[in-house]
Amino acid sequence: MIRFLKLYEKFGIFIFIFAGAVFLAFASPNFLKLDTILNIIAQGSYAAVVGYGMTMAVTSGGFDLSVESVMALTSVFLSILIPVIGIPLAIIVSLMVATSAGVVNGLIISKLKVNPLITTLGMSTIVKGIALLVAGGKMIVILQKQFMSIGTGKLLGIPNPIYVMVIFFAIFYLVVYRSSFGRHVAAVGSNESAVKISGVNVDAVKIGVYALVALTAGLASVVRTSQALIGMPSMAAGFVLVVLTVTILGGTSLTGGRANLWGTLLAALFVSMIYYGLNLLNLQIFYQMLAVGTVLMLALFIEGLRLRYLKAAKAKGIKV
Amino acid sequence: MSATGELLRTEGLTKVFPGVVAVDGVDFDVRVGEIHALVGENGAGKSTLIKILGGVYLPDRGKILLDGKEVAFSSTHQSQESKIAVIYQEFNLVPDLSVAENIFIGREPKTAFGTLIDFRRLNARAAEILTTLDMPLNVKSFVADISVAERQMVEIAKALSHESRLIIMDEPTATLTEKEVRKIFEIVKNLRARGVSIIYISHRLEEAFELADRITVMRDGRKVGTKLVAETNKNDVIEMMVGKVVKDYFAQAGAVADSRQPLLEVRNYSVADAVEDISFTLYKGEILALAGILGSGVHRMLQSLFGVIPKKSGEIFFEGRKVNIDRPRDAIRLGIGYVTEDRKNAGLLPAMSVLHNLTIIIIRALTFLRGLFIRDREETRRFEGIRTTLDIKMAGPGQRIIYLSGGNQQKVLIGRTLLTDCKALILLEPTRGIDVGAKAEIHRMLRALADKGLSVILTSSELPELVNLPDRCIVLYKGRKAAEFTRETMDSEKLVAAQIGHSDGQNGARP
Repeated sequence: MIRFLKLYEKFGIFIFIFAGAVFLAFASPNFLKLDTILNIIAQGSYAAVVGYGMTMAVTSGGFDLSVESVMALTSVFLSILIPVIGIPLAIIVSLMVATSAGVVNGLIISKLKVNPLITTLGMSTIVKGIALLVAGGKMIVILQKQFMSIGTGKLLGIPNPIYVMVIFFAIFYLVVYRSSFGRHVAAVGSNESAVKISGVNVDAVKIGVYALVALTAGLASVVRTSQALIGMPSMAAGFVLVVLTVTILGGTSLTGGRANLWGTLLAALFVSMIYYGLNLLNLQIFYQMLAVGTVLMLALFIEGLRLRYLKAAKAKGIKV
Repeated sequence: MSATGELLRTEGLTKVFPGVVAVDGVDFDVRVGEIHALVGENGAGKSTLIKILGGVYLPDRGKILLDGKEVAFSSTHQSQESKIAVIYQEFNLVPDLSVAENIFIGREPKTAFGTLIDFRRLNARAAEILTTLDMPLNVKSFVADISVAERQMVEIAKALSHESRLIIMDEPTATLTEKEVRKIFEIVKNLRARGVSIIYISHRLEEAFELADRITVMRDGRKVGTKLVAETNKNDVIEMMVGKVVKDYFAQAGAVADSRQPLLEVRNYSVADAVEDISFTLYKGEILALAGILGSGVHRMLQSLFGVIPKKSGEIFFEGRKVNIDRPRDAIRLGIGYVTEDRKNAGLLPAMSVLHNLTIIIIRALTFLRGLFIRDREETRRFEGIRTTLDIKMAGPGQRIIYLSGGNQQKVLIGRTLLTDCKALILLEPTRGIDVGAKAEIHRMLRALADKGLSVILTSSELPELVNLPDRCIVLYKGRKAAEFTRETMDSEKLVAAQIGHSDGQNGARP
């Protein structure tokens, strides 16, 4: 059992993906076509990109429930700013707005010592409120058609969102595993008081983490807004659950300290496969919610099982 | 019930933990209506003994007789049913409930239909108990809002509400003020007058002598002896507690300890509720011990010195310069390292590897481009350096820290601070929970580091460590300096005497 769970921690998500692929291959003659697969991957890129940020937050011992609101805010800012200051500047400013929402999260969590759940839940409502206020409560159409090429264009036959997903995977891989910041994040999630007496500025680490999560939410929003060419103050409702599912299913420990960025990426693709399968079966959108909720519960159940067995194994003196 | 009747007796009580016999064939008895003091050094087996009586541990051998009948406690509940109450140092109270609710928790009087708590009767009955014990407490106060001494009273009241015949108190006065101690004493004497028996564990000998009728000394899991307080004296008891701690002159002689170059000076230092007006100097290449029992303030003194907790007043000079240490980062920047006594909660990064645990303190310095790109080879090189110096045994650098032995975990934590090239090292309980072999190894290692010029300041509750490791030892008692020993004047009995507040005019001990 121990060995199985250890394998699961590393490769569990592959099993899900493989099973899903086999099912879809039989269910749909179109599944094994390049276009379909690229489409599935591109659809999974949002959850993957925001998942990178969420992975850092969970690794630091917290999480961020405000990502979907930050996406909505970014979308609204883009639609308002593009006609005024042009596309490149609008993207930069919108991302800065997104990041500053994360900084506020980080400040509240670290300086005021409010629990991340309450903080980001509260911020989520506030940010969503600001988005609706700024947008006047309605969607804003973007007339600059060239903005659309960001989310819908292709390079060498591969959709742009996939590039975004891959490039930011590389960047986050460096940050998580190869930078001192990433090491500090894991250390804070592993044992905050130990890190403090090692002289690490724990507050700065936390602020950085929540700024990064918000940045990933902003990035995902840029791509999505570009595809729709509409600024949506109600964008991505319920998306935070997808992102959390992807992070936990990917094997990042909820107890903090251990990130699994590969797992997050693959889990995002798996969830995208589920969506594709549900579409294929002509099931309504409500079933997607059902599916995501079920997968999240399953992932949490397995995580709980894993922790319990590791504890039992430790008690028996088995080296894991 | 006659005043001399026997209430409880243990015969050959033995409890073995992996690698240690915690309680070893103990015959012990408590009479009806007596205060029986239980004393001994750390690790003597007192806690294990009371946990057996409290139903926390099942003994491996031996029996417990209550009123002459053999009993077995396989749960704390059974012990409670037999009218035994144990008051541990960590109280068993619910902070968000009132005093009255805590006293009657689980047995609250109910209203007519047996559904709701009858608060009027609850408060009245609680008040009644508090009055009989002459406790100045409001039954409606929340436990979260009352002092430690008052919580102690609530525990006692709770025990009495169970009609307990034996109340076991584990270091009840360790963190109390003098006035509060007086009050607890009165209550304990009051209990005795009511025919309740008390087992009173304390590190402070004077208390044992003031309160108790009889005194039992434990050492290394065995009972050394039981004496009538009237027929013994403190020096005899100290001798029984200490036994033979061999002074080992050969293994630990310091090489540069006599250079007398001050590194760190602490002047008139005070920490709220812990230490008052402490001054000392740490010299280069010296191992200095601050000794003191629970409540002496040594831990808080050292924590404050590293900036973990704030000071109240006083000055610190480092290399002749006046410095401010408000947080750990300040201390690290000066070149002070710190190893916590709470390895699990404040030291280790349990989810991470040995390598990452070790290098976390300098990881920023091991990168290109301000934090990005850790230089792997440099990290491994620094790691290997420490691993060889401290001889850390592990499967590999990627092994998770929690699977290392306690001794090796401790070496990693010491190694972590050494990576910062610190000049002074603060160690709290450097060998707690570590097996004997690893202890000696860590002692040799610390001496070798001191010989290379590192100054070490440590505190320990283990007598052999205090006697043999340091060049100098300063004893604190109730937050004040009580005595100082050098390697020459060090004497284990006098050291223990000073720690437990019995150092009146002893030679060798400079107050």
